[in-house]
Amino acid sequence: GRQVIPAAPSVRRLARELHVDIHDVHGSGIAGRISEEDVRRAAGTPSVA
Amino acid sequence: MTKQMDFDLLVIGAGPGGYHAAIRAAQLGLKVACAEREALGGVCLNVGCIPTKALLHAGEMMAAAHEAADFGLSFGEQKLNVQKLNGWKDGIVKKLTGGVGALFKANKVTHLVGQASFVDPHTVKVGDKTYTASNIIIATGSEPARLPGLEVDQQNIVDSTGALVVPDPIPARMLCVGGGVIGFEFAHVYNNLGAKVKVIEFLPSIIPGADADAVKEFSKAMKKQGIEIETQTKANKAEKKADGIHVELESVKTGEKRTEVFDRVLVAVGRRPRTDGLNAQAAGVTVTDRGFIPADREQRTNVPHIYAIGDVAGNPMLAHKAMKEGLVAAEVVAGKPAAQDAVAIPGVVYTSPELAWVGLTEQEAKDKGYQVKTGNFPFSASGRAMTLQQTDGFVKMVVEKDTDLVLGVHIVGPHASDMLGEASLALEMAATAADIALTIHAHPTLGESVLEAAEAVHKQAIHIMNR
Repeated sequence: GRQVIPAAPSVRRLARELHVDIHDVHGSGIAGRISEEDVRRAAGTPSVA
Repeated sequence: MTKQMDFDLLVIGAGPGGYHAAIRAAQLGLKVACAEREALGGVCLNVGCIPTKALLHAGEMMAAAHEAADFGLSFGEQKLNVQKLNGWKDGIVKKLTGGVGALFKANKVTHLVGQASFVDPHTVKVGDKTYTASNIIIATGSEPARLPGLEVDQQNIVDSTGALVVPDPIPARMLCVGGGVIGFEFAHVYNNLGAKVKVIEFLPSIIPGADADAVKEFSKAMKKQGIEIETQTKANKAEKKADGIHVELESVKTGEKRTEVFDRVLVAVGRRPRTDGLNAQAAGVTVTDRGFIPADREQRTNVPHIYAIGDVAGNPMLAHKAMKEGLVAAEVVAGKPAAQDAVAIPGVVYTSPELAWVGLTEQEAKDKGYQVKTGNFPFSASGRAMTLQQTDGFVKMVVEKDTDLVLGVHIVGPHASDMLGEASLALEMAATAADIALTIHAHPTLGESVLEAAEAVHKQAIHIMNR
């Protein structure tokens, strides 16, 4: 099956900082790409834009 | 109150992994020591990447001087001063290893000289002194694997370290046992310096791990330059006689044996992790039967405050992997949320053309269940490659069919190693082939071939017919 986590290195690091398992994050971008905002949403702490 | 430790972190080994770990930990405010029993910089700087690349450059300049005749430039008879070549190479090594020492000083990393061995989980003996540390990183590297029957004497039968000293005269016939990266780089060096070179490989394919199409193209280019390649062949034994080294070769398929005579034999059949003298059991650190020290994504061994990085922690044995793992371990020690989470570790053979790749091969992608599309762009259609007189090779891009995500990039061609940075970034950023195709690449450059390979994935490359 698929193994690529479509998230930039900085986004993956943010997930670790927020104790979010990147595998559980829904990517809202093209090709399922995971944004910083997706990670913050998964952590329950969305940033105020 | 806990006992005061001598250091927050003690790094064992000052190779690429070790010095990266030590410097990053110091940057993060830790009190750091780095123990090294040999020269700073480890294998890569002293007897690996750096001196090999220096010799490769020299060999390529000699080949290029011949090829310049095509555009009317002749240099007269080539004369190689072997002593000067060795000296130039050694000078580069000295400058870089000295640089590591200067970086240690600048970052206040304590350099401990000597063999390090564990006394207990927090105590390490270096030379005849003992030091305590809250955290320890094992970065002891690897050494050339041996081959029974071919005893390395570093004169006639050499490993990669011996092969770095270019003999005078250049050997007339040379055998490289092992068709991996190291075998081919030295084959290329000595072929360009005037030796008749044969490479033998036990497996059905050379450069294990690389994409099959790329290997085929690479193999074609090497043969065109006069390097003989025999796969599924092994060397049983070597005997030094008056007329040279008699090597018994055997076909793995048929069992047929024959003896060939060479002036120099390189044994490059892989590398094995180095843990001799470390006494890892005194710290309770697990060492596998093959000598590796397994580590998790945070580079921790089975003992949580002891880390392992680089060659000793597992394959692939590559300097840039060790460097990354060193940074990860140092950051974890400093309490940062780091992890070895790289999408892909690039691989490079620094011959001419170079073979460089990152990510999945077409076969690996299929084996993992991906539906794939590929795009190829040959350097024979690159204007820049023509102006450089280096049109052998191609860029092959492997892409997931539905999402267009780039899964792997495989390049055979000039400066493939430098072009690979873009491909690595593409994989880490989860770029699609469309992202690459829509990015303006400067013209004329070799890097445009990466763009054109991405266009070829969508069957709309401009400089070739799309099939």
